[in-house]
Amino acid sequence: MTDRTTPPPELAVQDVTVRFAGLTALDDVSFTVAPGSVHAVIGPNGAGKSTCFNVLSGLCRPASGTVRLDGTDLTRLAPHRIARLGVARTFQNIVTTEGTVADNLMLGRHALTRAGFAASALHLPSAVREQRAHRDRAREIAELTGLGDLFDTPVAVLSYGDRKRVEFARALCLEPRVLLLDEPVAGMNGAERVRTAEVIRDVRQQLGLSVVLVEHDMGLVMRLADEVTVLDFGRAIAHGTPEEVRRDPEVLRAYLGTDDTGEDAA
Amino acid sequence: MTGFLDHLLNGLALGAVYALVALGFVVIFKASGVLNFAHGSLLLLGGYLTAVLHDDLGFVGALAAAVVVTALVAGAMDRLLLRGGDRDPRAAHVQTIVTIGVDIVLVTDLARRIGGDLLTTGDPWGDSVTRLGSVTVADSRLAAIAVSAVVIGAVFALFRYTAWGLSLRAASEDLEAAALMGVRLTRVRMLAWCLAGALAALAAVFLAAFPAPGLERTTGQIALKAFPAAILGGMASPPGALAGSLLIGLTEALVAGYQSELHVLGEGFGDVAPYAVMVLVLLVRPTGLFGAKGAVRV
Amino acid sequence: MSDLLKRGRLLPLVLLLAALPFYVDAFWLRIGLFAMAAAIGAVGLGLLAGTAGQLSLGHAFFLAVGAYGYAWLAGEPGPGLPPALALVLAVLLAGAAGGLFSPLAGRVKGIYLGVATLALVFLGHHVLLTADSVTGGFNGRSVPPLTLGGFTFADTDPELVVLGVPFGAEERLWYLGLALFALTWVTARGILRGRPGRALVAVRDSETAAAVMGVDVARYRSAAFVVSSMYAGLAGALLALGFRRIVPDYFGLALSVDYLAMIVIGGLGSVAGATAGAVFVTALPLLMTRYADHLPLVAAPGSTGGAVGPTEAARYLYGAAIVLILLYAPDGLHGLARRLRARVPGRRAKAAPATAPTAAPARPKEHTP
Repeated sequence: MTDRTTPPPELAVQDVTVRFAGLTALDDVSFTVAPGSVHAVIGPNGAGKSTCFNVLSGLCRPASGTVRLDGTDLTRLAPHRIARLGVARTFQNIVTTEGTVADNLMLGRHALTRAGFAASALHLPSAVREQRAHRDRAREIAELTGLGDLFDTPVAVLSYGDRKRVEFARALCLEPRVLLLDEPVAGMNGAERVRTAEVIRDVRQQLGLSVVLVEHDMGLVMRLADEVTVLDFGRAIAHGTPEEVRRDPEVLRAYLGTDDTGEDAA
Repeated sequence: MTGFLDHLLNGLALGAVYALVALGFVVIFKASGVLNFAHGSLLLLGGYLTAVLHDDLGFVGALAAAVVVTALVAGAMDRLLLRGGDRDPRAAHVQTIVTIGVDIVLVTDLARRIGGDLLTTGDPWGDSVTRLGSVTVADSRLAAIAVSAVVIGAVFALFRYTAWGLSLRAASEDLEAAALMGVRLTRVRMLAWCLAGALAALAAVFLAAFPAPGLERTTGQIALKAFPAAILGGMASPPGALAGSLLIGLTEALVAGYQSELHVLGEGFGDVAPYAVMVLVLLVRPTGLFGAKGAVRV
Repeated sequence: MSDLLKRGRLLPLVLLLAALPFYVDAFWLRIGLFAMAAAIGAVGLGLLAGTAGQLSLGHAFFLAVGAYGYAWLAGEPGPGLPPALALVLAVLLAGAAGGLFSPLAGRVKGIYLGVATLALVFLGHHVLLTADSVTGGFNGRSVPPLTLGGFTFADTDPELVVLGVPFGAEERLWYLGLALFALTWVTARGILRGRPGRALVAVRDSETAAAVMGVDVARYRSAAFVVSSMYAGLAGALLALGFRRIVPDYFGLALSVDYLAMIVIGGLGSVAGATAGAVFVTALPLLMTRYADHLPLVAAPGSTGGAVGPTEAARYLYGAAIVLILLYAPDGLHGLARRLRARVPGRRAKAAPATAPTAAPARPKEHTP
């Protein structure tokens, strides 16, 4: 398991540009996630937040620019390699796989485990031992995220909020050094939101990791984030602490100028 | 003495007929995401109906009746598939396998009726040939090229200029969005299946015509060669299917034509050459020559 | 704990299967042997199509590689290796053949792969017909019996009578089939319930989720294809031993379709389901032929006049079964059994959640950038 005594690596996004069929989704975006901090990326719909996450996790290759994790260039790596470096993510629209909560969390342990086809087929002691040990750890993480009682429940019967939590827990199962959360509280009710915010704060303290957060819920951003980057039409228009960003005239214009997201900023 | 031009013309004719079948696959795939394994039995049904009806209705009447009935049967097949409910994300896979079951039933029944016989469809071309300079070509082949060209042109016009064609494109791009936009998916699907059935019935007549000996119980299996053609074209692209079909038809005719020079590959390699071409192309382009959708996203 | 309970439940079944050769004649043992061989192949295909979501119509090809591989390696003409070694090598050969196809199997997905694998069946059949020095061409070749430490799985050598029952080839092969099937059952469950199984399910349900969890998607797709080919190879070798003579025409597209039918009839993604489907698909035509006289509307074999013969009747039933099961029980026999079990009140309350809506899994939605 990852050594939790060393500080998490620095994630540096530098001059990243992404184009889809002539459309510029990200335009020369740069920001740095300080080790151990919560860094929020906010912006109106279509500002490029999800594209930004896809670049960080390797699902989308930028036309130019680099993403460095403590000096390692991530932009040329396949997603599964980035995952093995300790970068985990959740999705805006829930993506769970068939099976129980335990199955999903154990998938999160994939990068940390070894057992291949032969060892699993032959029930080799090493594979059995590994499975048992990692299942115990997955159960701990389930407890931590409030899924303890649902550990052996099929994901298909869970509520929306619980499935969202499964995704979160699955990402944690990777023992990430950097955790990318794409709208972790979207679709949740007030109580669930508060609870999720607490969990995020807890895991950051307990597991000592950096969190990059895309979120529309400004209340959550203000409470959790150490630093905020604001995207608008693919450009980073502001950086700073939540307080600074809240007062930035450019940010106010970007939000108030677009009617449909106006209330998000409030 | 048969030469390169003869093989080329044969390949073109073969490709034109494959295109009729492959277009059917593509239309069904676009509308419903289903790979229709019952296409061979539809083809056989169309041929069989033409064969048994032509004494009473004449060739044209029989063919028209066969096309209509096969289209209706294909439409009914679609209805049957939809009974399974289309909410399940894996529904298209399940429906694909259902078509295998339908195929088994239909082919068993038609093969039982046909038995060991060779049926004639009463087509007007018989075994007459036309000389074009140094090239001799069967009239049925010329007819295949001409008719396929007209029909394929008409189908392309359908795609482009009708509301149905537009809906079909919308449906193949995003089912949910199309439904939200008010596209009546079940009707789009149904029409796609009917069209595919009609094309298959038409293709059957040419596949049974000279120089083939007639309609056999195994004629439907030829539809399987249209699979590589459709895949080569990217499965969701009608022009791709047309190009793929011509490529497959030409390959088959040329390999068969130069059989003696290619004897290292074994007797009858022409029949399996389409599959070899498919593997080679997919190795270079996993989504086919014209495939963009479903490109490796990760 | 639950594992032990499960094993306890299986024990009577295992004993029953082991005792069968003492009570039933060769006809039933042959059905059993072919069903077990089919089950081995079906479990392999289930791993690929059900678990990894990759359709394959090339299964017959890998069965052929296993069958011909064994016959050639152990026989004359051929290197004439010890048959047990030849059996192992035949399985590895099938796996290697699957590996050769992996540039495609890793990159082409779902239904596309289904069509691409058609090529294997047709090209394979062509090779079987053409390479007569190895395959015997159209007429096929005979299959040497398996010997294991001086014991031959054939009618003689040594002559054997157990508890008053003469042990011929059928009886001996029954136990061989049982052992190989048990091996398949145990290994496949190990894969499905272990790390590789979870990775394959993830690849099927969402490529992107799998990849960001550290799963090398292309590698796992290829691996599933190779493993599935190895099971097919084992099934092919066992079938060859049962047939004693193999011909190219057996390994056609229809055989691939049969295997696909087995796993969908049984229920995708479960070892037990694949087995049930294999038994159904294998036994149906054999039973129909045997009991044709007693069935209404079915003519005796060999009768003419457009009547429905037993083979045809079996085909009708077979096709209809595929359609009906998939339309009304898309999760196959396995799902049906699970739902029936859930109806029995009081029993296995703990298993109840597992029976909840399997028809509506979390919608695997690709995350588009």
